[in-house]
Amino acid sequence: MSARVAFVLLLMAAAQVTEAQETFIACPIYRDTDAGRKSGCWLADDPKGVRYDVTLAPVKPQVGHLALIEGVLSAEPDTACGGRVLDPVRVAVLEDSCERQIIAADNYPGRPFKSPPEMLAPSDQPRSLPPPPYTEKVFSIYFEYDRDFLIYQYAELILEKIVLYAKASRAKRVQITGYAATEPLVVRGRTLREPIALARSRAEMVAEALRRLGVADASLSLAWHGAPAKTPDFEGGKLPEPSKRRVVVTVTP
Amino acid sequence: MKSALPVEVLMTKRRACSWMKLLAAALSVCGCAGSATGSREAVPTPRALAPETATPEPSISDRYWRAGAAYSFPARLSYPTGTGVITTLHVPGALDTTGHPFFTPLGENGRACITCHQPADGMSLSARTAQEVWEKLGPSDPLFAAGDGSNCPSLPQHERASHSLLLDRGLFRIARPWPPLDRDGRPIEPELDIELVSDPTGCNADPAFGLSSAKPAISVFRRPRPVANLKFATSMGFSFDPKDGLPLEIDRESGLPTSGNLLADDRERTLLGQARDALQSHTDHHGTLPSAELQRIITFESQIYTAVSEHVRAGALDEGGASGGPDALSRAPAGKLQSTKSNPIWGEFSAWNAADSDPQGEFRRSVARGAAIFTGRQFLVSDSAGITDVGFGNPVRNSCAFCHNMLHAGMDVAPGQVDLGTTNLPHANPLPELPLFRLTCRPGARAHPHLGRVVLTHDPGYALTTGKCIDIGKITAQSLRGIAARPPYFVNGSAATLADVIAFYDKRYEMKLSDEEKLDLQHLLEVL
Repeated sequence: MSARVAFVLLLMAAAQVTEAQETFIACPIYRDTDAGRKSGCWLADDPKGVRYDVTLAPVKPQVGHLALIEGVLSAEPDTACGGRVLDPVRVAVLEDSCERQIIAADNYPGRPFKSPPEMLAPSDQPRSLPPPPYTEKVFSIYFEYDRDFLIYQYAELILEKIVLYAKASRAKRVQITGYAATEPLVVRGRTLREPIALARSRAEMVAEALRRLGVADASLSLAWHGAPAKTPDFEGGKLPEPSKRRVVVTVTP
Repeated sequence: MKSALPVEVLMTKRRACSWMKLLAAALSVCGCAGSATGSREAVPTPRALAPETATPEPSISDRYWRAGAAYSFPARLSYPTGTGVITTLHVPGALDTTGHPFFTPLGENGRACITCHQPADGMSLSARTAQEVWEKLGPSDPLFAAGDGSNCPSLPQHERASHSLLLDRGLFRIARPWPPLDRDGRPIEPELDIELVSDPTGCNADPAFGLSSAKPAISVFRRPRPVANLKFATSMGFSFDPKDGLPLEIDRESGLPTSGNLLADDRERTLLGQARDALQSHTDHHGTLPSAELQRIITFESQIYTAVSEHVRAGALDEGGASGGPDALSRAPAGKLQSTKSNPIWGEFSAWNAADSDPQGEFRRSVARGAAIFTGRQFLVSDSAGITDVGFGNPVRNSCAFCHNMLHAGMDVAPGQVDLGTTNLPHANPLPELPLFRLTCRPGARAHPHLGRVVLTHDPGYALTTGKCIDIGKITAQSLRGIAARPPYFVNGSAATLADVIAFYDKRYEMKLSDEEKLDLQHLLEVL
């Protein structure tokens, strides 16, 4: 086997590894690394005892509460926090209690906080309306498992884009469709299932947000459904289950 | 204008400096030498005393503004605090208070807004002022009105014990309807049930005023928030409230977004709503005040700025390269988020890092260190609903400036309410004189994120407005400016001094502050 072929095979193997999806429930561990604000590590051990680094999740765990972990193993080495890195990854905090686990840095550097690449601008900064042409446009907002809470430093950016597009296009109709993953998801023997009422409350939460941001109430139309299809639009299709927990907003000029 | 002026001494800066010189003589420091000739506007008060007759500490009759008296509220009004001088500016200039609705009793209990928002206390009211009013003016003063100036209206009003919470902790009774009402006055189905664990005031079990009365209400006891620097409290840095997970709430009357930074439990979100609420609950005003009068109140309070202007050890706070004091505050933009690296909060005092090595300079450098600790000294913020359950994780490493992040003011730009543990057990300071409630979340309700389904609290806070378990004990952060003038601290007066405030946080978040760091932080707070 030539060195070149071996290298290609190695790359292929690595690609396969990075696509391995992990879904488990764990009692999260906070590693108190000190590399500035928000720099601590979040770790979670799967039932086999494999330790994962879930710090890159948009919503972090809470010590003392079980968490649903859904992520894809990345090629990043485990040197930052001391766990196999999941990226993309989603974490949902469950109400169930577990042991509070805070451990020392143990020479791990942690992950210095980086501001998200796109953040909501202060209110006093002027906004630019999106340019024409104005056609029907679809936006999606994703949620944590079993929550209708609009995720900070994520959802508000999409909401603002919806509002600006609706204003620019003089939208006649803004259709808001909420979804809940009502079909059972079995994780290590435990069945997780979102109630259909959550689909409605997600839609209503988005509707309230749009109203508060100036979208005319008369233009809003709400619907909600269970058992949604997975969508490849979320994290490149790498996280099919979390992709079901969404609200789809269709702006029609 | 009437000449009878209970507030006989309104300290100009000249006179404040005279006081400071007296106090500072032993320390051989006073930053007032340059202003001894008096550069401030004259105080147009008929009986203002000459500087040389000023006493080190004005008596209560000198500094307590009574409702209904005809005063001139000057453009600049200064009073000594224990460690310096608090100065309140009325930006447009002197105001004849005759008939002005902020200063005039409008309800049945003889109070006006000024009764509980005193310039000598940074437009709040200190426990010390309450004590002195009791001693000098007695229980008939409107400050001790039965409705909220006593532990319960049903108690004998002439007895000190009936007013102990106001006198000892500066607390007023706030009666909130239970179940709570929404913004339209409709009952909210609460997610929780309230039981009394202890009721030392008797008001929550009172047949006329308690939870089982004809108009069920829960009585909690809170400090009055300062009516000053309100452009900061009403500013909106961003359109989204991460704590509620929604854009800012819209005011039904104006159709405009609101900040959510006004009241401890967010029961009102506009100055208009706050004025109406206060007129009814604090002045016993029944009926509708004409909108023009309400607007006069709002206009006045929106033009008031208060801050510490001088410190007995640091001198003037706008000298040596610093930009403290109320003048700079009045000109500062509101609603701006601090940046620890590029634009840190309390940068007003960063120039004092290079202060001289004399005693005054030593103190100034301590203030500058305190500012650096405020933004840079990190610790694990844990179990604080409103912060640690909105996505940052629990715990999350950050500093005081994580929440106190609005430049110049120290409140939260991202508005909203937080449970720091000042009212909820197990973190609250011991408060045996306050009622204690057991709140049990109903099935199906989302539990308090860190305390579970049963919470013991002295004040449910924001949950009294929303009826939600997740909001139990959440209290709105308030401005830190002028804080030295208005002890005791926290919503329930559970910290007697600024040192006690720092001690609470040090213990609460296991900050492990050194004695020097604590002192530096205290010095910072003393000059805000």
